[in-house]
Amino acid sequence: MLSLFVPLFLVFLFLGLPIVFGMVIAPALLLWANGDTRDIVLLYRNVYEGMNSFPLMAIPFFMLTGELMNSAGISRRIVGFAAAMVGHFRGGLAQVNVVDSMMFAGISGSAVADVSALGSIIIPQMEAKGYPKPFAAGITAASAIIGPIIPPSGIMIIYAYVMGESVAALFLAGIVPGIFMGLCLMLTIRFMADSYGLPAAQQKASWRDAGRAGAEAIWPLMTPVLLMGGILSGVFTPTEAAAVAAGYSFFIGLFVMRTLKVSQIPGVLSRAALTSSVVLLLVGTAMAFKTVAALAHTPEMLADSILAVSDNPLVLLFLVNVLLFVVGMFLDAGPTIIILGPILAPLFVAIGVDPVHFAVVMVVNCTVGLLTPPMGLVLFATSAVSGLRVETVTRAVMPFLIVEMLVILVLTYVPAISLTLPRLLGYVAWP
Amino acid sequence: MTALLVLCNGLGQINGAVLAFCRWIGAACLGLMVVVILMQVFFRYALGSALAWPEEASRFLMLWLMGLMAATAFRRGGFVAIDMMVAKMPARLGMLTTSVLLLLTIITLAVSVQIGLSEVTGIGGQFETDSLWLPVMVTESGWLKMPKSWMMASMLVCVTLLLAVAVELFLRSLATLLGARDGLSVIPETITLGSE
Repeated sequence: MLSLFVPLFLVFLFLGLPIVFGMVIAPALLLWANGDTRDIVLLYRNVYEGMNSFPLMAIPFFMLTGELMNSAGISRRIVGFAAAMVGHFRGGLAQVNVVDSMMFAGISGSAVADVSALGSIIIPQMEAKGYPKPFAAGITAASAIIGPIIPPSGIMIIYAYVMGESVAALFLAGIVPGIFMGLCLMLTIRFMADSYGLPAAQQKASWRDAGRAGAEAIWPLMTPVLLMGGILSGVFTPTEAAAVAAGYSFFIGLFVMRTLKVSQIPGVLSRAALTSSVVLLLVGTAMAFKTVAALAHTPEMLADSILAVSDNPLVLLFLVNVLLFVVGMFLDAGPTIIILGPILAPLFVAIGVDPVHFAVVMVVNCTVGLLTPPMGLVLFATSAVSGLRVETVTRAVMPFLIVEMLVILVLTYVPAISLTLPRLLGYVAWP
Repeated sequence: MTALLVLCNGLGQINGAVLAFCRWIGAACLGLMVVVILMQVFFRYALGSALAWPEEASRFLMLWLMGLMAATAFRRGGFVAIDMMVAKMPARLGMLTTSVLLLLTIITLAVSVQIGLSEVTGIGGQFETDSLWLPVMVTESGWLKMPKSWMMASMLVCVTLLLAVAVELFLRSLATLLGARDGLSVIPETITLGSE
């Protein structure tokens, strides 16, 4: 009877029950109907123990770092630095849009934060320079999804925790795919520049101006260096590194850049804590859900039905991309990873796919899912920032979405893109 | 109808005030978590003496952060849900579906409160934490190890606050079903929260 919990959960999900409740109510109802009331107590304990974790603490710290940096107004500095670097290319401000997203990704790790912080600055700038507003909104949304791919990444921490993988290995594995995605978007802009009649490039910044822009942006841009340097050198655990990043953001905002006011701190803490509480509860219920899934032999049943289609890893990886694309239309990245990760990952690891490579495939798929209608969180955020209708943003995103889907296929079938860096640094074994 | 509206808005006011207080404490917990972990790093590297308690203390604070803040997120519509199908239903059917789901949520949370209470007061809660001490005068040393129930109580508080919010939202959905939506007080903002 317990095997019915996944269909029941899906019914609740599509009827609009919040996922955190659905993941508990569906198995609890079946346990109650089965007379296993003692197991409902275990479900409760699983949720509590699922949250009682030191590695999970990195999530509130990264949320806080992003909030602190946003409140300190780093976005303008990053846009200024990106403009000095690539503003002279054809479609300059569109290129700047992508590069600042790549830089911001190293600080915040959230696609929605990227759109809110950078979109509100760069979209009006692009419009003023003659770029069509839908195009500006489209490239803002498309580049924002690099946020959770380049470390730090909230959804990678969730994946690592739920699946028992190394946070450092996942962070390392995300760097090259994130940069690769950004470069592919920049190339697309270059090819689109003529057909879209994008404005001519601005004058190349002098070394002096570029140096000044770099000096202004250097403090926030040191965050990923501090973070990854600390983790990889073994000085900090990922959780400690996240706390150090939060402390660093607080320090530079208040004392170095002096753009963060003490009066902003309670609001910053409150917003970060509020978002963290949702993610923590989601992860806690996911751990209970994962336990029930294992008890009900759901991964094995799913594996049997998938392997009946094919046992070729290449075919199965293609199918998982299709599945995640469809799921991404309806679910955000975090919940998708929490629900499908424990079900899909064991199957792919069993057929020989490297767990870190599969994690990257899942994370990139899920982040691109933030751009797919009807439930694309980044589309909604971009619509709110730009003032354009969601349908307009969706249409504008399409050319970039096609490119990102091609990037996913390349990342899926060329594991070296994601695995070389963690292999070189000893986090993943060479084959 | 008037009685329902008075009940709805009265509970809304109580929830609003309690959750505002909880948000302050939750925000303070996050600030303290950063301080505690930075202390851990400082003592380990600068003073060469690793402390035993920061890891458990920060977990304690994180559990309370979650316990105190999650209900605010629920009340403001911050929990991730797919409301597409309900939005496409006729308005009354959609509201009826929401009410039924909220009722189911209330039952589950009520059971969770019961379980939480027995967990906190049960034998598991009497065990001591590994490294958290309380300054009290009842023992010879003046210090007492904190019982685990103090950490477990965060979950009990969480489900209790969620239950209070679920009851409020259920009453609001009933009032809306009965056509009294205009008489309902406004819940501050609707936000979607997550790690994305």
